[in-house]
Amino acid sequence: MSPKSAIAEAKKGSTELLILALLEQEDLHGYELARRIETQSEGTLSFTLASLYATLYRMEDRGWIRGRWIEKAGQRRRCHYRMTDKGRRVLDTQRAEWARFVEAIGRVAGVRYA
Amino acid sequence: MTLADWRAIVRQHAASTGADRLPLQTTDELASHLDDLYQTARAEGASPDAARERALAALRSSSLTDLVWSGRRVREGVTVADLAAASRAFSLRSLLMGHALRLALRQFTQQRALALVTVLVLGLGVGASVTVYSIVDGVLLTPLPYRQPDRLITWWDTNVERGLSHEPLSPVNFMDVHQLDVFDDAAAWWRPDVNLSEPGADPIRVTTIEVGNNLFGLLGVRPELGPGFPDDDPMFSSNLIAVVSDRFWRTRYQADPALVGRSVQLNGVPYQIVGVMPPDFHFPDDIDIWQRSRWDFTQHSRAAHFMEAVARLAPGVTFEQADAAMTGLATRLANDFPATNQGWSVRLVTLLDNQLGYYRPALIVLFGAVGLLMAIAALNVASLLLTRALSREREMAVRTALGAAPRQLIIQLLAEAAVLSMAGAVVGTLAAAVALPLVKALTPVDIPRLANVTMDAGALAFALAIALGTTVFFGLVPAFVVIRRSLVAGLRAGDRGTSHSTGWLYRGLVSAEVALAAALLVGSGLLVRTVANMTEVPTGVTNERAVISSVQVSGQAYPNWPDVGTTWERIIDRLREQPGIRQAGATNFLPFEAGWRIPFTIEGDSVPRADEAPQVQIISVMDGYLESMGARVVSGRSFTSRDDTTVPARVLVNETFVERYLTGREPLRSALVMQVGGIGPLGRNLLAGSVDGRIQPGRLEIVGVLADVRNVPIGQPVEPAIYFPARQFTFRSMFVTMAAADQAAAVTALRETLREIAPTLPLTAVTTWEERVRTRSAEPRLLMTLLIFFGSLASLLAALGVYGLFAWLVALRRRDLAIRLTLGARPGSIGLGVVRQGAVLAVVGLVAGVVIVQVSRGLLSRVLFDVSPADITSTGTASLVLLVATLVACVPAALRAMRVNPIDGIRAE
Repeated sequence: MSPKSAIAEAKKGSTELLILALLEQEDLHGYELARRIETQSEGTLSFTLASLYATLYRMEDRGWIRGRWIEKAGQRRRCHYRMTDKGRRVLDTQRAEWARFVEAIGRVAGVRYA
Repeated sequence: MTLADWRAIVRQHAASTGADRLPLQTTDELASHLDDLYQTARAEGASPDAARERALAALRSSSLTDLVWSGRRVREGVTVADLAAASRAFSLRSLLMGHALRLALRQFTQQRALALVTVLVLGLGVGASVTVYSIVDGVLLTPLPYRQPDRLITWWDTNVERGLSHEPLSPVNFMDVHQLDVFDDAAAWWRPDVNLSEPGADPIRVTTIEVGNNLFGLLGVRPELGPGFPDDDPMFSSNLIAVVSDRFWRTRYQADPALVGRSVQLNGVPYQIVGVMPPDFHFPDDIDIWQRSRWDFTQHSRAAHFMEAVARLAPGVTFEQADAAMTGLATRLANDFPATNQGWSVRLVTLLDNQLGYYRPALIVLFGAVGLLMAIAALNVASLLLTRALSREREMAVRTALGAAPRQLIIQLLAEAAVLSMAGAVVGTLAAAVALPLVKALTPVDIPRLANVTMDAGALAFALAIALGTTVFFGLVPAFVVIRRSLVAGLRAGDRGTSHSTGWLYRGLVSAEVALAAALLVGSGLLVRTVANMTEVPTGVTNERAVISSVQVSGQAYPNWPDVGTTWERIIDRLREQPGIRQAGATNFLPFEAGWRIPFTIEGDSVPRADEAPQVQIISVMDGYLESMGARVVSGRSFTSRDDTTVPARVLVNETFVERYLTGREPLRSALVMQVGGIGPLGRNLLAGSVDGRIQPGRLEIVGVLADVRNVPIGQPVEPAIYFPARQFTFRSMFVTMAAADQAAAVTALRETLREIAPTLPLTAVTTWEERVRTRSAEPRLLMTLLIFFGSLASLLAALGVYGLFAWLVALRRRDLAIRLTLGARPGSIGLGVVRQGAVLAVVGLVAGVVIVQVSRGLLSRVLFDVSPADITSTGTASLVLLVATLVACVPAALRAMRVNPIDGIRAE
């Protein structure tokens, strides 16, 4: 497994966590989600359109989030996603797992939090 | 760059990456995302091209195939094409009816043929229904334009023994009715023949009634101009006044207000005009002038039936109570005056029913027929939609798989149904708006109140009601399939998606179509028989082309009876000399009309009490009448111009008279004795004169026997009749009859003759006997034409339904048929099997159709003549027509079944 693919694999598992984490704070539409993930990770994490929306639909399908077409004042109609109760439970679990995972990686591979 | 541009770009990209069709919402979401990217880049100072490139780069790096599959609960076995179809037609967020309607519209723009056929079929049904509804509403349901019109009744005299059900009233009997306290008031009239002559204008015949002073008060109608008849005057008065109709006032007097107060000459007698009636007043029908009665109704005969009447029920009195009181009165009069009233009774009808006559049951039958047609159209569309639903079962299943609740699917189906129904209703209403004026202009009969018929809010509401009804119906039929499918798993491989119950639903719809079409066809068959029967009734007239016109010798030039008689002789004699006239005569009653009925005795028989003497019709005819009409003298001779006032009284009798009264005697050696005093201003030679101051009855020598000429309306037995020579027993008003080279020659001849001999007499409408006979059956003829039209349309629709059903059944059973063919079944027996199924369906429908006809037999019998609703010929013919149509309709399917290629049929699975 090359280093590049390690990130790719990690990213795949973490996307859902990132989205849920962002939606924990407020309801967001797809573009805003992508923008925040990109800026907050300083460009490390970015998705293609297809993978972002495929993830969103999958999460919606699992009942973690729900999309609603809303027209906000002065803006066009957009699909805003909101975390469901189920999504919150998933977020809590995943956070805990990621914490353990990162800690384990750190211990084994000597990687430290910045 | 607009959102729409981005959408197009997304679609294009999706197609190029093999994602064919994305769900709509996904496209929207991606387009929105790209637009955000673009806008952000622009905000950061990028050029439009650079911004666009940045957004496109994001798109290019994505393969959208994932999105086709992602996110929506997709089960195994669903193909991308299924998903695409489902997403095109339906989306998860389409709970809103508006959205559903938009989708439905889009669907039908893609399925133009289906939409066009259903909308046309529905439009046809709605158009016919709305047209007939408008007529029914205007003619049957609108109240008459009088005060409290539902309290107005009228009545006819009846005589069961003589088979009379619709006889006019005697003025003396009327005066007894007038005294009954079940009525507020009653008014009577008769219809004199009146010539109107004025200096400087051609004389004309006017339609008048001579009526009691109380008529307008009773109806609650006032003249639009002038005072009208004085309120508190007696019923009759020698003070001669009249009112005229609005139409007559406008056409004859150019709406001159000065007409009121002026005098006009009616049959040479001056009447003062005291009013002009309102434009919509036509009572009892299209009358020009209402003359106030100048004679006392009590000073007449109980035997003379020539009047009509209207009465207003007293407050609190019901129709039934009035009927009972009238019947009681008739019984009392029959006891008190057996000579004139024995056997007579009355039949009460409401004024509206009376005015509508044949049209009431006819319009109800027609409305029923058009209802059946509408139902067939609806069933037809429903079965079309059902096949469509069956072919969409997979799509429905996919939608269910994608999470659509049955409720959402049904909303979508209802939206589709609503789109079709509304379009059908709009097309139909427009068609009715075009058809109604045409119907009003082209109808060959004089339907009462038809002129007032319009398409109003009621008609629109009716169309809307149909649309709502069909929406629910059309929505529910395919919904039945959906609900069934949602109960059984929808996507099993190889499942062709049809079970017995949907098959039965389909069969049921088509059978119902056949049943309704059968009912319509049987109905039109019955009307065909009715018209044929009416036309075939023997009239005794053989010259169908006899030309007829009415002439009335009246006015100041003809003050007394000898003048009238001489004038008539001169007219007929001169007429015969005109070119093109082969024969000419005259009569006071044409065939189908009953003559006056007068008691007589046979000479030599003991003279019964006057009130026990039998009564027979008397009819006056000028020599040449029988010849011009082609009536046949079976023994003895006809009249000649020598049967005049210089010879003893001579008569002809008809065959029925001979059978009834002269059996076993030699008619030509018999004579009759008749007391003709008291029947009005009649003949001169009929009385033997007075002996000791008492008038002696005249002796009438029978010189010939006439083959029966129908002297009663269709449907009643011919009555015994005596024919007098008009030269001996004249009348002012008679019908001139001519056997002529052609109608134009006859008109010219009559005009020339009148100009020469009686220049003050008007020439009135000229018709042929054939036309008169046709008018007698015009109403059933019209109904027949309409029913045949509706019946044919219905059969066509039913045949289309059958065709569709069998095409579907065969397509469905292709594998089954293929296997049977592989196993050696003969194609012939397979084709026969399909036809046999068609026959079963047709027979089931036919039986149901006959049941429908029998259920409505009470109504039907009111529009039929001499034919029973259970008539075998009509039922048989209709059944045959429909059976043939049904079988023909399943032939293509049978042929296809025979030609199934075994290999293809099996591989199709």
